[in-house]
This record gives sequence, C-alpha cells and structure tokens, in this order.
Amino acid sequence: MNASTTNFFEAIGAPVVDIARAWGSMFGCGLRTLRAIAMARIAWREVIHQSYLIGNRSVPFITVTLGFLGMISVYQVAMQIKQIIPDFTMLGPAFIQIMIREFAPTITGLMIATRVGSGIAAEIGSMTVTEQVDALRMCNADPIVYLIVPRAIACMVMVLMLSIYAVLVSTISGMLMANGAFDINMRTFLSLQLTNGDDIVIGAVKALAYGFSIPIIAGNAGLTTSGGSEGVGWATTRAVVSTSFAVVVLDFLISAAGYIFT
Amino acid sequence: MSGDAVIVCKGVGKRYGRKWIVRDIDLEVRAGELLGLIGPGGHGKSVLLRLLAGLATPDEGEVRVRGKNLADIDPFELAELRREYGYLFQNYALFDFMSVADNVAFPLRQAGGVEEPEIARRVKERLEQLGLGEALDRFPSELSGGMKKRVGMARATIGEPAIVLYDDPSAGLDPVTSSKIFRLVRTMHHSQDDVASVVVSHDIDRMKVICDRYVMIFEGKVLFDGPEEAIEGADPMVGKFFFGSLGQSSGAS
Repeated sequence: MNASTTNFFEAIGAPVVDIARAWGSMFGCGLRTLRAIAMARIAWREVIHQSYLIGNRSVPFITVTLGFLGMISVYQVAMQIKQIIPDFTMLGPAFIQIMIREFAPTITGLMIATRVGSGIAAEIGSMTVTEQVDALRMCNADPIVYLIVPRAIACMVMVLMLSIYAVLVSTISGMLMANGAFDINMRTFLSLQLTNGDDIVIGAVKALAYGFSIPIIAGNAGLTTSGGSEGVGWATTRAVVSTSFAVVVLDFLISAAGYIFT
Repeated sequence: MSGDAVIVCKGVGKRYGRKWIVRDIDLEVRAGELLGLIGPGGHGKSVLLRLLAGLATPDEGEVRVRGKNLADIDPFELAELRREYGYLFQNYALFDFMSVADNVAFPLRQAGGVEEPEIARRVKERLEQLGLGEALDRFPSELSGGMKKRVGMARATIGEPAIVLYDDPSAGLDPVTSSKIFRLVRTMHHSQDDVASVVVSHDIDRMKVICDRYVMIFEGKVLFDGPEEAIEGADPMVGKFFFGSLGQSSGAS
C-alpha cells in the first residue's frame, strides 16, 4: 500500500476511531457510575454538598426561565385559541399536562445542562490538567467514585425536584397571565382533568434520565481533558453541546416510549 | 544500601500519536536507593515516572512492580500496589477544595484502618517535621510554592510508602527553597528502611548531593545508568550534561 492510500484510510479512519473512543469512554463512565452506586460506594457528604450547588443555586435561574416560559406559552396558545374557538376551558388542563409531561423536565434539563454541565466539566477538567485527578488515583481514590457518583446522585434528585418546582412556577405564572390577559378564571385554569399517572411517570423518568446523563457526559469531558487551560475551555464547550444534545435525544426517546407503552 | 529490584522496566515505550516519547527503556529501581532520573527538559523523564507509577500504560514493553506487570493486573491488585506508592507531583496537585491537613490525611483515610485521632496525630507530626505546623487549617491557595511542595511531600510520604516518586521537586522554586526541598527528599528517604525513591530533575547540583545512582534520559532513551563515578567512561553527552552543569555551579559559587 502506497503512502497516499495509507493517508486516505487514515483520514477516514481517525475520526471514526476518535468518535468510537469518545462514546466508549462515556458509556464506560456511565457503567462504572452505575456499578459504584449499586455497590453503595457513595460519599454522602459530597452528595449533599453537590445537591446544594446543583439544586439551590439553580432555583433563581429556573424561577425566571420557567416563569417567563409559562406566561409566553399561555399567551401564545390563548391567542391561537381566540382566533379559532374563543373557549379557554381546556387551556389550563392542557397546559398543566404538557408542562408535567414535557416542558418542565426538558427545559429544566436544558438549563441544568448549560449551568451545571459546564461547571462540572470545568471543575473536573481543571483538576485533570493540574494532576489532581492523578493524585486521587495515586491515593487509591477512584475518580469515578469520588467525583462523578456524588454529582450523578445529586443531579438526579435535584433535576427531579427542580422539575416539580418548574411545574409549579410555570403553572402559577401561566395562570396569572391567563387571568390577567384573557380573564380566565383561576379555578378553571388549575384543573388536572387531562393529567393522569402516566404523564407524571413520564415526566419523572425524563427528569431522572437527564439528571443522570448530564454529570456523566460533563464529568467524562472533564476527565478526558488535555492540554492546559485551552483544553479546559474545549471540554466545557463539548460538555454543554453534548449534554444539551443528550437531553433532546432522551426527550425524544422517552416521549416515544411513553406514547407506545401507555 | 541498595537491595532487591522493586520496579523493573523491560523495553518500555510510550508514544502520543505517532511520536515516541520514550522507547526501549530498561531500568531497575532497587529498595533502599535514591535514584536520580536526569536529562534535559522534554526528553521523557516525567512520562517515564508516570509509567513507573502506573498512571500511564506503556505502548510496548512492561513495567513490573514487585514482579507484577502493571498493565496486566486487575484494579484491586493495582489498588493494593498503589498503597506502596507516594508521588510528589510537579505542579503540587494539592486538592484545592481541602485544607492542608485534609490533603495530607487523604491517603491515610483512603487506605482505611487508621482511627481519626491517630490520623490527626500523624498529620500534625509530619507537617511539623516539614516546618508546616502552623498551616494545618490553611488552604492550598493561601500557600507559597515552597509550602505547597512541602505539603505535597507530606501527602506523598504520610503513608510511609515503600516507593516514592518525586517529579521535579524544585520546579518553579527559588534556589534556597530548592536546596531545602532536596534536603527534605533525602530526609524522607532515610526516615525509614528500604525505601526506593526516584527523583526527576535537571537540577544536577542538588541531585548530586542526594542521589546514589543516575539514569540519564536523552531523546526518550536511556543514555546512562550508573553512579557518578561511572560517568567518565560513558557517552560524552552524559559528562557534558552532568559536569557542564556542575561547572557552571562551581563557577557561580
């Protein structure tokens, strides 16, 4: 085989090998995290600390974002309804159902992916390039157990809690918009007649799936960082893009499974 | 006095991409000796040290620690072997979210089997020995470079490891602090029997004071392996590197 043929195959093969390695590394990280959780190798103090960082500090962020989303959604849908049949009876029940099943966990997941995912990748990436991760290894501390597992548990619990909070915030803001702009009775709006157990289960499964995947993807980006501060920057960017993408793909898969199996 | 070989490298090579950083490395580290890994910067000393610690896997050859090939053993065996190691990182690698005391206590807590009061006593004693008795509750960001090195040294040696690896202990330090750090390396090495210590540095003047044997790495290969007395008969490059530096030092002093 001559040099140009070798270069051609290398040019095609190298990106494929890189992608396969990246996926393998990420899934490996996820499996090792699950194994550590199953074996109860959990630093609970760190879980509580991470829960505070991920959860409490995201509350203002979620309040503003979901508050506005609730108002915008109700306003836009109400304007559409007004043009067709000006009957707003089912606006509130449909809004609450779609918030529980879809928007509250997914928008919360996307918000956490950007805020928390970038933070996790930057923190662990900095630890990697300053050899702190190697120091953990030399002290017999598994970086997955020590860095990823507490964040995965904290993030799962907190995305679920924040999703519930997001439903409340968006419902209240949507209700105020409906009442103020379209004179819809608050009791009429606050009806759960279209919401059933399946919607709640699907919303909760989404929140837990996003909560697990965000620290795994971001943490893996941090652990595979190389090349100093520039590498940390790239790891952070990669983490935000990959976690956001993962939230959208998981949303599609869980929604599809939800419609098929319920 | 040097004893049995604790670490044995046979034909070890490591590459990043297509470039071989080190290749065909044959090396023994013996119990009780203080081995100096010398050579110009960027010629593979630190990579070789990472291979000795099992932090990097060789692309060819093998690194055996107490007869076990690091690339073949399972994570539990590796964890068992790592209990025997202490490692001082070039850039300190202190955990910035922990106090000095917690940093130093970390290896003992990870190893388990030692009660907290005993850990606290040993940490205080080791930090006092290194002149850091007042820094227990401070954080790494509040320390100078020399103090961070000493904390790193305390963390590397608190578990009384049988193998201690020092990656450029004088990097970024002023000459006075560097001399102090090298003296501490010697003190730590002699503080217990049969410790195998490996020091990576290009600071020949200070290495000469503490090392029993030298291995010079040049362009990723072993150019010299022996005591100072054997340098005369070695490749001229070794003498140029070793005595050239000494000559400069003599001229300066």
